[in-house]
Amino acid sequence: MLTTIRDLFRFSPSFRFGSLILLVVAILVLLSAASPYEEDKLRRKVKRNQPPAANYVFGTTSQGQDVFWTLTYAIRNTLVISSIAVVIGRGIGVVLGMVSGYLGGTFDRVTQSIVESVIVIPRLPLLILIGAILRGSMTMYSLGIMIGLLDWAYPSKRYRAQVLSLREREFTHTAIFSGMSTIKIVIREHLPFIIPFMLADVISGFLFSIGIEVTLSYLGLANLDSPTIGTMIYWGNYYQSIFVGRTWVMIAPVVAAILMVLGFYLVSVGLGEYLDPRKRLVRLQAHTDDNSEASPDDADPRKEKDV
Amino acid sequence: MNLLRTYILPRLLQWVMVVFVGITATFLIPRLSPVNPVDEMLARMTAFQSMDPDSFAAMRESTIALFGLDKSPIEQYITYWSRLLQGDLGPSFGNFPRPVSDIIATALPWTIGLLGTATAISWTSGVLLGALAGYYHNRRWAQVIERFVVVAYPIPYLIIAFVLILIFAAWLQWFPLVGGARGDPGFNWEYISSLLYFGFLPALSIVIGATAFRFIMAKSLTTTEIASDYVQYAELAAVPKRKIMLYYVARNTMLPQVTDLALSLGAIFEGALITEVVFAYPGIGFITYNAIYNGDYNVIMGVTLLSIVGIATASLLIDLLYPVFDPRVRLR
Amino acid sequence: MFRKFVFLLLLALIVAPALVAVAQEPQGLPVEVPGGRENLWVFDRIYRLPTEADWNIWKSGIHTAFFHALMHETFWNRDQETGEFIHALAAADPVYNDDFTEMSVELRQGVLWTDGEEFNADDVVYTIDALRNKYDGTQGGWQVQLNDFDAMVEKTGEYSVKFTIGRPNPRFHTLFESRWNGIYMMPSHVAAEVEASLAEGENLSAWVWDAEDMVVLGNYLPIDWDENGYWQLFERRADPENSLAGIITGGSGPPYALGIWYGNENIKKAIAMSRGELDVYFDVDIESFETTLDTAPTARSWYKDFPWAYPNEVSSRAMAFNLEGDSMAANKDVRWALALAINIVELQSEYIGGVAKVTPFNIPPTAKLYELYHGPLEQWLIDLQIDLGDGEMYNPYDPTVPDQIAAWAEDYGYTVPGEPREVFGTGWWKFDPDAAEKLLMKAGMSRGDDGRWLTPDGELWTLDIQSDPSENDAYRMGQAAADMWSEFGVDVNFITLDRSTWTQNHRVGAFEVSTPWQSFALASGDMWPNVRGYHSKYYAPAGEDYNPLGGNSLRRQQETVLDELIDAMEGVNPVSQEAENIALAHEFVKHWVENMMDITTIAFKKFVTWDEKYWTGFPTAENPNYQPLYWFMGGKFAIQNLTPTGG
Repeated sequence: MLTTIRDLFRFSPSFRFGSLILLVVAILVLLSAASPYEEDKLRRKVKRNQPPAANYVFGTTSQGQDVFWTLTYAIRNTLVISSIAVVIGRGIGVVLGMVSGYLGGTFDRVTQSIVESVIVIPRLPLLILIGAILRGSMTMYSLGIMIGLLDWAYPSKRYRAQVLSLREREFTHTAIFSGMSTIKIVIREHLPFIIPFMLADVISGFLFSIGIEVTLSYLGLANLDSPTIGTMIYWGNYYQSIFVGRTWVMIAPVVAAILMVLGFYLVSVGLGEYLDPRKRLVRLQAHTDDNSEASPDDADPRKEKDV
Repeated sequence: MNLLRTYILPRLLQWVMVVFVGITATFLIPRLSPVNPVDEMLARMTAFQSMDPDSFAAMRESTIALFGLDKSPIEQYITYWSRLLQGDLGPSFGNFPRPVSDIIATALPWTIGLLGTATAISWTSGVLLGALAGYYHNRRWAQVIERFVVVAYPIPYLIIAFVLILIFAAWLQWFPLVGGARGDPGFNWEYISSLLYFGFLPALSIVIGATAFRFIMAKSLTTTEIASDYVQYAELAAVPKRKIMLYYVARNTMLPQVTDLALSLGAIFEGALITEVVFAYPGIGFITYNAIYNGDYNVIMGVTLLSIVGIATASLLIDLLYPVFDPRVRLR
Repeated sequence: MFRKFVFLLLLALIVAPALVAVAQEPQGLPVEVPGGRENLWVFDRIYRLPTEADWNIWKSGIHTAFFHALMHETFWNRDQETGEFIHALAAADPVYNDDFTEMSVELRQGVLWTDGEEFNADDVVYTIDALRNKYDGTQGGWQVQLNDFDAMVEKTGEYSVKFTIGRPNPRFHTLFESRWNGIYMMPSHVAAEVEASLAEGENLSAWVWDAEDMVVLGNYLPIDWDENGYWQLFERRADPENSLAGIITGGSGPPYALGIWYGNENIKKAIAMSRGELDVYFDVDIESFETTLDTAPTARSWYKDFPWAYPNEVSSRAMAFNLEGDSMAANKDVRWALALAINIVELQSEYIGGVAKVTPFNIPPTAKLYELYHGPLEQWLIDLQIDLGDGEMYNPYDPTVPDQIAAWAEDYGYTVPGEPREVFGTGWWKFDPDAAEKLLMKAGMSRGDDGRWLTPDGELWTLDIQSDPSENDAYRMGQAAADMWSEFGVDVNFITLDRSTWTQNHRVGAFEVSTPWQSFALASGDMWPNVRGYHSKYYAPAGEDYNPLGGNSLRRQQETVLDELIDAMEGVNPVSQEAENIALAHEFVKHWVENMMDITTIAFKKFVTWDEKYWTGFPTAENPNYQPLYWFMGGKFAIQNLTPTGG
């Protein structure tokens, strides 16, 4: 495991760069614990509307917040929200999509009916309605859960489509004829194809949650009192910071959002290359022999042949 | 015949069920909201005035009766279905007594035009560029495009929208701030060019993110696909790269993309809510947004009905057409 | 080859619409009028209203939306700036009999409908009859109110009418006195014809009034509009000198008026003004206003310089408490403590930008209302004492607040245009956390180890403030309170809600502290119309909707003292018995303040801003002839004397 990571770090530029970004993000998150301000008492602490300078690295907001320290909380909270959403949404989506893709038959039909019924109901209006029904008692966690519960239907359809397509591949038939068990086929033959897709999908899941978080905040439906990327953008916009030239208020959360997703994306590309049967680096190959924790597909004979 | 019984009929049934469940849900959910159309309308009508409380109470009673909300939810539900089956979506409460069908008919063409165009542009360019970049992933241009996309992709939509407004409407003042067109609707150059002129910024804001999304998806699918045995055999057999790309790889990565396209076309009826709100563009999304805040049940239901039927139908068509796009999928 | 083709295709897809779009002449206005921009006055329409081309404004549910001032008239207007009672279609004040069962109105002569007919007593008689009997519900609840008062009208001359009122009412005339609106007169000669043409069983609610058939008393007629509800274009009538606004002001107004909606974002109005596509907007946040100052060199608001904004719209902003439920704020001492924990100078300056007037009770200190309320009550406020619980009687009022704000402004580099009291309002409560601390102790509370306040039961005291961001100052006031109370050791949650949910929470009492706005007094100083809904007979317990009862039980108050005052005010004529009426109103204010029912902070201000690029002559602090609030019915006078600058 460690070897794999070390090799990835050494030979995959995107993994290297991505991990560095994620490290920066992680440091920012950890720094939130050392913040001189309490999370619920960030406003009215410093002089308002100050541009970035030595004492306020990222400047201050129109509400008298230090942008830097607010940002550390915001990144942490947004990661919490999106992680909850992604785990729930992708969890349901992957399981439902793959199971119904493989099982087929009645199970598939019933699940598809449910999935369809969920898909047809427009999501954003539904979120707005739910926001109104909850009447401002929305917390960070309930927001994450809500986003997750609304974002599994599309992914599950995509996974099902992937599975349906993989099932008809020649190598699947070969494996079936050679007596491989279904589980083995799934793990050895199909996962290597699905995982890169899943990594990309998880990234877009993060993006979706961050986007929805920003959107709901913009519509005033999130808890605007707790710092997140979305609420920072909401307040920046509320005080017109783009238009009155206090761009630092907006730049910080936007750059943070980009860094987060970019970091995940690059790491996923690196991992994808590693997991990809064909594109595995030759160097990496040499190390798999002494890597006892290598993933199952490492032993796949097909890949040896391919390289 | 067997095909009809085992494949088409169940899917048609599924369609009917999905539409029924969806409509029932959209009947119920707005009624759970604390906001109700009567008080919203009264608040608007009596703003800035001081009214005799007893008169106000009487007016409220009569408005409830006028809206038919004095009946039990079950009666309202039955009334709704019987009206719906006659093609009547009822009156709007926010703009009483204007018919909902009329409101939707006015707004829908704008959304279809905006989202249709934006989706077409972003889907085509995203899928093509993504496939190319995935296939020629070692080329410099592919990497440049990818970097650009990867950085643009995570930018929250609202920021893109604000920045576009800031640059093109506030600083350069090239594009208008609100609205959909100028002049009287008609099939003439003046009107059509004004449509493009007014729709440009909203469409661009959608295209940027959507293209990036398609690009990343297409690239990831292609990267996986070119690892397939058949691609390598083809390469070994010296089949021209372009041919491999076009005839084999592109075709096989199409399935999920087409699925998504059909669904996103269906979602046009849901409207580009945020885009329309931010750019103040006339369309179904904005109507929905206002309706939610006014508790305008009939408008919410009218719009959702379209969305439900639109997406369910798109999805049905995908199911029926799967085999055409991916011959490997066999009917089961 | 293939790649080239793909790129060409993509290029074409993206570039072609871009080229077409860029090739357009940059012009964001949806219409052009003869004579160009110099003939067109463009105003902010505030809302988008997808409305049919139906101008039957009397019918229930039709949006009046700012065009009513351009087209319709009633008997009297109350100017919010001057407090002046302007005779509109009436030639004089209303004359009541002794027991307020009759009201005589003398009508103005020489006001013409746009078809040349003269306005007369027949129109009044027809209007009242139609509103009572020929509509299924009307605008403004006029039908129910006229029926409730059992109001009849008879023609006593060509230009005079007499109302008989079944239920004695010294304020019956307020139905015809506009702040927002008043009963719009109908052209009887037109409506009677329409009525005759209606099908059996139909009434005037079925009347769809097309723009081309319109006949009005106002100065403008609609000629074009957007079916999506973004804009409406009006053309000045051929004989503006015969319109009521023309007769009263002597001006004729711009030839064309375009009401346009620039979206939900405040900043768009500022951008539109900088593009020369908006001549006046009704309000924005202070940041957008600053953008306007930076980008539209000829734009200004009420004051030429700081504090710019129009300070005298008749309303005020307050933190209101839900007096029921488990909230600690149901305790009067706790409310006083919260008031003393607020630093009003910082609130007014840092949060609001120094641009609104301070007031300690729910009446804005406009010139007229200051004279009626704040001035006479000042000594009482100075002498007011509260019991801190440790035997000390404490004077909470600080009359020097406006001077402190003026000092802040001068520190900031602003010049104060006049006396601090004229510009920044009245005194307010002292900022005194120590006194507040004693009050909370008196209420049985204590501080925990981390300095946060605990309830008498020893639990952490949490306080929820709900607010709606669409009213900027109320929202920022709420934030200020949250921040300051939080520093004082209260665990505050500041909850943002959309307007609809927030008002619905008011109706059912689902809040602890909220940020509503109201004025107890009308621009005239009369209080009863605005407070009658506070009577205990309209009380609804928390958890129940008060709207079905018709009153305003927002705070869930049940105060016998207030009920008696409200009942007493009801029987007093606000014009002929003004002194008595105001004396009762003072008692009402005193009771409200002593119990700290609301923490009222500032009066309404509006950044009603106009660009003098195309039109000049809007009312200003230097020339305060009429209220600049053009969206009210009386706002029409402000635009009548606009003159073109020649662009």
